[in-house]
Amino acid sequence: MSVGQRSTLRQRLFAFLVAGLGGLAAAAASFAMTVYEASNSRPTPTVAAGEPIDTGRWVITFRGARTGSVPPTGTEPSQPKTFLMVEFDLDNRSAATSNAFASMFDIDPPITDVQAPAFYLARDKWIASGVHPGIPEHMIAAWEWPKAQPLPQDLRLVVGSQIYKRRDNLYGGSGWFDRDPVAIVALPVKTEMVVGPGQ
Amino acid sequence: MRTGLKETGAIIFAAAILYAMQRTTPLYSNITSPVSIAGEQGKRTDARAFALAVGDVHLARTVRIERFGQTRTYTTSGVWVLVEAAAEAKRESLTLTSAEWLGPSGLRYSLSQRISTMPAMLPAERLEPGLPKPVLMAFEVPENELAGGTVLVAPSAFTPLGEEVRVAITELAVGDIPGAVTIRRSDGPMPWTLETE
Amino acid sequence: MAEAISRAERRRYWLSLAGLGFALPVAVLVHSWESLEAWRSGSDRDPIAVDRGESQRYAGAEWRLTTLSRLPGGSADEAVVLAEFEARIEDPGLLAESPCAVVLTDAEGRRWLPAFLTRPVVRKMQPEAADKPRCGGLAFQGAGTHGTARMAETFVIPATASGLALSVTLANARPRHLLFR
Repeated sequence: MSVGQRSTLRQRLFAFLVAGLGGLAAAAASFAMTVYEASNSRPTPTVAAGEPIDTGRWVITFRGARTGSVPPTGTEPSQPKTFLMVEFDLDNRSAATSNAFASMFDIDPPITDVQAPAFYLARDKWIASGVHPGIPEHMIAAWEWPKAQPLPQDLRLVVGSQIYKRRDNLYGGSGWFDRDPVAIVALPVKTEMVVGPGQ
Repeated sequence: MRTGLKETGAIIFAAAILYAMQRTTPLYSNITSPVSIAGEQGKRTDARAFALAVGDVHLARTVRIERFGQTRTYTTSGVWVLVEAAAEAKRESLTLTSAEWLGPSGLRYSLSQRISTMPAMLPAERLEPGLPKPVLMAFEVPENELAGGTVLVAPSAFTPLGEEVRVAITELAVGDIPGAVTIRRSDGPMPWTLETE
Repeated sequence: MAEAISRAERRRYWLSLAGLGFALPVAVLVHSWESLEAWRSGSDRDPIAVDRGESQRYAGAEWRLTTLSRLPGGSADEAVVLAEFEARIEDPGLLAESPCAVVLTDAEGRRWLPAFLTRPVVRKMQPEAADKPRCGGLAFQGAGTHGTARMAETFVIPATASGLALSVTLANARPRHLLFR
């Protein structure tokens, strides 16, 4: 073995060592950070009604919650039903019309036999479609409340958040991606008097 | 010493190239974005699969639609933009399901779903080859996104490398927005009439 | 540092490089084979020309175009084309699972898809055709196992279109399709 060959071998070994140690250090740092974040998780802030919540894609301001037998369309269903309605203002902060607000908040803790809410535009008394950027809207989410479930006195909602990625990790496409919840909202539920038909 | 300098130079050079490549890589949405065909307001624009001509664009605070003797009022928190146009399929029958108002700041406003039940609305009209059809588009746009807007029309919003006609809206009276526009069905050459108040 | 590279090594290097030139296209082809096959069978490339009034065996049935008539459209530029055709069913199983696509073509190669709703003019002038089902599973089921399915489709075309032909494609039988002239 010549002297030159031995030196290249040593150089290679050194390079391997540096790369290996660097990789190990990176993995250890990432692991430590994850563990630290998990053990020192910041509690999700509780936000009162009327305060705007920045979820990244949307700015949402809850106004209040109530129960009633008439959905926001104003037409009473043929069979008596109970609705839990949450009113809020919604501002689309993204660059395009979107109807992706439906999964932005949820009842906390989740109730299994309650179906996903329907969303209505308050000024139109009609089912909401996309909300346009720069045009804030007053909206109503209505859950059809099952008879077997007691109506809540206080409603806790957990509000999720989304961030915009110019390039996602999988395809390199641009889009909005779910992140951790940013707020818990506690709303007292106003109960509507049970009224008979024709009143 | 000299080799050390050379190596440092090579590393810096490589880093610069990698950085430049990273900065200039087109986004996935750019690579798959529709092929756009620019058109002018008032003139026919021909894509491969369809042709479109955008005529008058009307603004209004509220829209009233008269159907079957009833009048429904549609409000908006922005401004209603009603686009009168004609569209025609060229090779095969198709429906143009996607239309957007592109504001001057780059914000995109999809067709309003509120008055989509009105006949002659673009996404509801089946276009046949050789038969140009009058069509209406309705958008809800905030006032500051009106001047300098562009109408984008495509057969579908999700087809990568599909065709998209872009018509810059040059004739638009932004200063004087009427309170209400009434749309009525008509049996004349156009299937609707627009009446501004 | 610079040592003589042996001739054998040099040859291996060039052989590998040349091999890459062969292996890469093969890899691309192997990967896209299924898509190519799907594209090939999805396109209607292989027409079976059938003359007016004659019948032709296709996709488990015996097909015949009974009428292809022009009716007045909503305006002077427009015409409504009514196509009535029938299928004497031989293999109900083969037919039932196959979606049916009907297209009207003209001499310029333009293609019209059938109208969703039967035009009022058809109901007025050809009421029995207006009640016929459109091409598809329902029509075949209605005909029974060895009956004849009578179907009708309407098209809205410009009055100037000429050289009309009706193309009937059943998904199972692709890329072969019927072309009634």
